[in-house]
Amino acid sequence: MDFRESGYALTYLGLAGIVFVSILGLEYAPGLKPCTGGGCWGAPEAYRILYLHVPFAWCSFLSFSVLFYGSLMWYLKRSEEAWVYFQSGADLGVIFGLGVITSGPIWASAEWGRPWDWGDMRLNSFALLTAVALFLLYSRQSQPDTQQTRDTLSAVGLFGFALVPITAGATTWWETTHPEVLVVESTETVGMSPDVRSFLLISFGLMCILFTGLLLLSNKRYRLAAEVSDRKNELDQEGIS
Amino acid sequence: MEPLKRRLLVADIVSARTLLSARGLVVDRGSRKVLRGVDFSLSGGEVVGLLGVNGSGKSTLLESLAGLHPMSQGQVLRNDRSIETTVRDSEGQRGDITGFGLCLQTEGMSGDETVFERIRGACRVAGRADNSKALHQILSEWGLGHRAEDRICKLSGGLRRRVAVLSALVPVALNSEPSVVLLDEPSEGLDKSSRGLLLGWLRALAQRGHGILVATHDPEVITACDKIVTISETSELTSEVQHSKLEIANLPEPCSAESHMELVTWACRLERRNPIDTIGRGVPALVALLLAYTLSTDITRSSENYDLLAALTLTPAFITAIVTPAIIKRLSEERAGDWWRAMSGAGSRGWFSIMGVSLILPIPMIYLSWYVIAGDISSTMNSDVMLWLWLFAFVIIDLSVAASALHLMVSDLTRSGAVAGILLQLVLIWPFLQMTSALTSIMSNGMSFELALGQPFVDIAIAWLTVVLLWAMAVIIPED
Repeated sequence: MDFRESGYALTYLGLAGIVFVSILGLEYAPGLKPCTGGGCWGAPEAYRILYLHVPFAWCSFLSFSVLFYGSLMWYLKRSEEAWVYFQSGADLGVIFGLGVITSGPIWASAEWGRPWDWGDMRLNSFALLTAVALFLLYSRQSQPDTQQTRDTLSAVGLFGFALVPITAGATTWWETTHPEVLVVESTETVGMSPDVRSFLLISFGLMCILFTGLLLLSNKRYRLAAEVSDRKNELDQEGIS
Repeated sequence: MEPLKRRLLVADIVSARTLLSARGLVVDRGSRKVLRGVDFSLSGGEVVGLLGVNGSGKSTLLESLAGLHPMSQGQVLRNDRSIETTVRDSEGQRGDITGFGLCLQTEGMSGDETVFERIRGACRVAGRADNSKALHQILSEWGLGHRAEDRICKLSGGLRRRVAVLSALVPVALNSEPSVVLLDEPSEGLDKSSRGLLLGWLRALAQRGHGILVATHDPEVITACDKIVTISETSELTSEVQHSKLEIANLPEPCSAESHMELVTWACRLERRNPIDTIGRGVPALVALLLAYTLSTDITRSSENYDLLAALTLTPAFITAIVTPAIIKRLSEERAGDWWRAMSGAGSRGWFSIMGVSLILPIPMIYLSWYVIAGDISSTMNSDVMLWLWLFAFVIIDLSVAASALHLMVSDLTRSGAVAGILLQLVLIWPFLQMTSALTSIMSNGMSFELALGQPFVDIAIAWLTVVLLWAMAVIIPED
């Protein structure tokens, strides 16, 4: 199995797994107790979207890590390979970021009675992260592919990554409406129940397979695009016969 | 050999026909007269080289012939159709140069277009039917076949110039009727092989009976000319006839005529590809909605606060309307707007302002604002407001046309980026206040169609009329 085929295989496997876990999450996952650990849920059944929402969020952080790697490597090495990772990171950041900020409001509408809380740091910083990824996607397509363009966009990529720890820690540092997700610290009495946690980790594992598949495919695509661009430049040099 | 002989004969017959002429052209730039009573004519079947030192007015003459500059005296007439029509005159009459080919000194293209779309778009604007096969063939001949689907912003300067030159030559090459090509420094930035192709095309177009005017400093381009016209610093024209021995290039066969709404298609296509208009309007409106929501939480839902709540409800939609439309940014790029203005003639400003409208966002934004801000307002009043909010959205859509026209006025200035154009937009506060008053009335007393000042329907009508007047002022006055 070559590199490209493994990308397709992982992507299809990840997609099938996500569909499977969504059905399991809706039909068979254990429900939440209406009141746990001192707080009560307004819509305990709506929590099931968590099996998509949280893996989307974690994979979004992974995307921004790829973007960070690409940006940093671009500054250090100015290599085409670094730029490939930059582009893939930005694209995946859009995909998974949009996954987070569309699945979240569905749950919030049921739980809080409103889709968005403008005062919540986690929500707003995630929206900002996705906006940065979207900016990188459109800017890259609409600008001439010069070193200056790449330098500028890489700087934005680094800025985007700086938002990741702020976003990740927002629920701990600024305790507002968004619930804190406890996985490692969860026990029988604190945080999420072991059944829910297992389901969540399986779902995250499958989302990681999808993420890896998309990353491989995206990298392959941008390597091919770079080759096509080189070939076009050669044809430009050949002039008119 | 027979077809060649016939073609030459046709060229000889049509060569006597004047296709484009300027009479007594006076063009000022501030207190300086750039053109002083210039008489000029371009006939079919000839390539005319326009020479002159820097600042002598070559580009101004060429662009005036394309109808781009207001003139204090004189007129430019086109004679390529069955009747003589005005391109532009000192009285303010404007026509179009549909069917002409125009290449400005700068590219006149938006970077978001692809190479193929640009050439096809130029042909459509000139009223030619789509012939993708011929266009791809031409692009391959000009070394652009592998770039056909690339955005223009991704091309090097030389390749961009090739596209700009082609977008002037191809529409005329596909036209079976004698037409005009206006080229300003076309060989600037072109490599040797591209220049060779350009010269071959110029000769071939002349042989088909088209008239070509080329402003140039390039000695190689001058060898392709049948006549050299030199313009002095005092706008005196001297001409010298010469015989060009250059080989002609193979041109594509002419195709049939077909009308297109290309400006609309162009604007929609670019917005789909790079939605800077939707994002540029939507993001400030959402931020305004957030602020409005935050402010409104401290406001008691009682009748003395209805005016404030009404203003907060209308603000996000109002903001979508006054943001600079993306079409104006696209038209400012590399003088793309001048190219479109020349091609679309008298109605261009009106069309540009209509194309700059915020058509979709005001409606959802105004309902979303009401949903967020209304809170626990009584259900009777809520249903009355919900029933009539679309009318406010409609006026805001109109308002965005006026805002767009004001932005266009500013963008016409040479250094539009150095102007605080937002100050002009403040005039739109007036219709906004009228709408606020109308919404407050509906919130307090329900909708009323009574024709008296202070009644909601009249307030909305005044807001709408104000907007229409502003639009007319911004569109009509600058057009001479």
